[in-house]
Amino acid sequence: MSDDKISQAEKDEAAYFAERAKAQASAAAAQSPSASGTQDAHTLFDVQEMELNFGPQHPSTHGVLRVVLKVDGEKILEAKPDMGFLHRGTEKLFETETYPMGIPHTDRMDYVAAATSNHAFCIAVETLLQVEVPRRAQLIRVILDELQRLSSHLVWLGTSGIDLGAVTPFWYAFREREQILDFFEEYCGARLTLNCMRIGGLPFDLTPGWTERLAEFIADVPARIDDYEQLLTDNRIWKKRTVGVGVISAEECVEWGLTGPILRASGVEWDLRRARPYECYDELDFVVPTRQGGDTYDRYIVRVQEMRQSVRIVQQCLAKLEPGEIRGKVPRVIKPVAEEVYASIESPKGEIGFYCVSNGTNKPYRMHVRPPSFINLQALPRLAKGHLVSDLVALIGTIDIVLGEVDR
Amino acid sequence: MALKKWLDKLTLLDLFDGLSVTGRHLFKKKVTIEYPEQKKLPSDRFRGMFRLDEERCIKCTLCAIECPINIIYIDWHNEKNEAGKNEKVLDRFDVDLKRCMFCQLCEEACPTVPKSIWLTTKTYEMAAYDRNESLYLDIRKLTDWREAPNVKPFTVVERG
Amino acid sequence: MTLSPLFWTYVKVVLLVATVPAIVGFVIVLAERRIMGFMQARLGPNRVGPQGVLQGLADLVKLVTKEDITPAKAEKAVHFLAPVLAVIPALTALAVIPFGPPVRIGKNMIPLWVADINIGLLFLLAITSIGVYGIILGGWSSNNKYSLLGGLRSAAQLVSYEVPMGLALVSVLLMSRSLSLVEIVRRQEATHLWFFFPGMIAFFIYFVAGVAETNRNPFDLPEAESELVSGFNTEYSGVKFAFFFLGEYTAMIIISCVAVTVFFGGWLQPFPHVKALQFLGLVPGAVWFLLKVGGFIFAYIWFRSTFPRYRFDQLMALGWKWLIPISLANILVVAFAILLFPGRTTGLVWLSWAFSGVFVVMYLLAKLRQKLAKRDRLAAVPQTVES
Repeated sequence: MSDDKISQAEKDEAAYFAERAKAQASAAAAQSPSASGTQDAHTLFDVQEMELNFGPQHPSTHGVLRVVLKVDGEKILEAKPDMGFLHRGTEKLFETETYPMGIPHTDRMDYVAAATSNHAFCIAVETLLQVEVPRRAQLIRVILDELQRLSSHLVWLGTSGIDLGAVTPFWYAFREREQILDFFEEYCGARLTLNCMRIGGLPFDLTPGWTERLAEFIADVPARIDDYEQLLTDNRIWKKRTVGVGVISAEECVEWGLTGPILRASGVEWDLRRARPYECYDELDFVVPTRQGGDTYDRYIVRVQEMRQSVRIVQQCLAKLEPGEIRGKVPRVIKPVAEEVYASIESPKGEIGFYCVSNGTNKPYRMHVRPPSFINLQALPRLAKGHLVSDLVALIGTIDIVLGEVDR
Repeated sequence: MALKKWLDKLTLLDLFDGLSVTGRHLFKKKVTIEYPEQKKLPSDRFRGMFRLDEERCIKCTLCAIECPINIIYIDWHNEKNEAGKNEKVLDRFDVDLKRCMFCQLCEEACPTVPKSIWLTTKTYEMAAYDRNESLYLDIRKLTDWREAPNVKPFTVVERG
Repeated sequence: MTLSPLFWTYVKVVLLVATVPAIVGFVIVLAERRIMGFMQARLGPNRVGPQGVLQGLADLVKLVTKEDITPAKAEKAVHFLAPVLAVIPALTALAVIPFGPPVRIGKNMIPLWVADINIGLLFLLAITSIGVYGIILGGWSSNNKYSLLGGLRSAAQLVSYEVPMGLALVSVLLMSRSLSLVEIVRRQEATHLWFFFPGMIAFFIYFVAGVAETNRNPFDLPEAESELVSGFNTEYSGVKFAFFFLGEYTAMIIISCVAVTVFFGGWLQPFPHVKALQFLGLVPGAVWFLLKVGGFIFAYIWFRSTFPRYRFDQLMALGWKWLIPISLANILVVAFAILLFPGRTTGLVWLSWAFSGVFVVMYLLAKLRQKLAKRDRLAAVPQTVES
């Protein structure tokens, strides 16, 4: 019985391949130029697919990302991201620990922008608990968020530059970032995996002199951003590498669910800080940079302008700081009511959200993360189609992914 | 407008601007800190290597409960002390340094004042050659790790 | 005893072959890393010796003691030959470069060049073309699809940028009326005019083509690490890689030396007729030459730390669609200037003033426009908080 099945399967397979070969031959015959019509021209002008592995180990994948490429010479026909190399089971870990214990795990998702991940987590739980965060805590949270946005965009700028051959903006950007990390270290004790927010507010108050030194530092930042712009923005080589690369229209962005600078560079003026204000963003005066083109150069400009706006926001918040409480009234054991909530904020990469399902105990029943890098990475095949292999590096950089967030 | 763009393009203004930025930085102050001759002093809240004070510890195991990775192993038993009252005695207080992420939740959970376990020792130089012997800390090493061969208390060397 | 007339030639050859690789390994590599570091607001390597002077030695020891791996199915003989083919032409080209005026040693005037061929420039162009073989064979013999592609790309780049380089040198040929490098320097001396001034466009084209010839940033796509298709030298390690490296940096030196000789007066001092600067004549010609070449190497390093890199098709388009037509037009302009005043250099002098004037005026206009544009841009979008 099984032999019959096997032989039938083999026959089917053989028939299928014969069918395919015939279809390919006829398609090839239709494609080959009628001028020469010889066998040589037939193979010379045909699309010759080669499958290439832009492997998990590569200096430009910003982490462990594997992209399976189908190329014809240098043109990319298909680019499929293969992620999961950095999966650590974060969402399962959330379920096995209490709410406050989950905050250090959010640091390690988007390790370049830890404060915003912490913030989104805290907002989700605070919404469930219906705790109000005191004003001083709100202002300091916004300052930390914007500093983190500055730091994340500096990393993006440096690594994007170095992928395309401009080696110096990397060092300048990291010099500034070093100072920002020093501020973080002074505030919460760590530079990268901050753990700087607690449910209801903040763990500590600011150290004496922190605000003055921050004001001094932040006043210098626009001049430094001018430096980076002088190196890159008008540079003809930079423009040649980025203008027209990876164009995506506004409708497509909305369809794919892309958020963050990608969306804003395609013309959709959507920023959660403006559209759904949280903390105290509704009283702050800042511009949401938007461009119309949707290519890599526009995304570059949008992020650089966002850096400038972050400087403005921090200065405004510093001016508004007043002494007060830094943590709202939170019970000792956090047991939210059995409800679901989705809370999201604008991280440097896009919209980061936490969908929290609580069952009344002190551990969440389900804590799902909406990671912006993961959702934005989906657009890579769409962006890369038709471009050259050398552009792939620019495209991965412009989507600005962090593998910790993609894989969790 | 086209003329102006053509002017820029022809005189390579953008390239000269880029060159001037790097040229200026040639003479600016360099930010390298030449480790190990020069070191940055960690801040007061810096979450580094932790220390335990056995005397202050009341063996409430709140730190072990609060640890997100469950790497604190505490064992204690009751003993009668001189006054005849029951007293907890620590058998084992081990911390698995291989997996600690220095998140400070254990310190936050500790109810004693001052804290019995603290991370603000400003020490981060804990590299070791042998994984198991030095990285799994037991109570002797936690109370005073100056005896441990690889953990160096931090000393600041002034920036030159 | 009478020395063989070739004695000094042997001495010079030995000196060149011994010192130039040493200078490359010890001085230029360290200088590049430290200067790039300084431009990036950091110190370069400074631990190995005082201020890092022994870094080249450390690199050399590392490369020499590395295991020499030949890929399994590679063509062993060709794999061995390719680095050699990359180095030897570069070292041979040093033979025709005049490092300084003839010096007096004992009773003889010894010229500071190994050979003064009357087709010196042509010889140089031909010899550097042979270096392309090393790259192609290196890429092919590695039995690696991507090395082959990288090698072919590199070879295509090198071959296409030789054309504008040659055409730029043709315009200099018109001014100097000789292909011999020594003769070119002597003519610059005689006409009191460094060929840079009438040949500004030629110099620019020559230097850009030279940077592309040596696979340096902004034209280093074939050998950049962050690109997918790795360069021809992926499968090489140890001494063979050191040879490729040496070949590339020696080619850098050659391009700089030729630029100095042909455009900047070789060993001549600047401002020889200005009374106030006569003290510059105390510096020997060879030192002037080295200083000028050092300036060009510095320009190479400066370019590397500033510019992003061109994509390969943009690189080829730049060479074929822009540099070649401009260099052809440049030949016409220089020829016209010379023919206007036959036998005299007045045409060239006028051309120099014309180029300098036009360039300076256009640059100032562009800068002014930039300032105005920046002012407008700042007024439009609020950048910082007004306190």
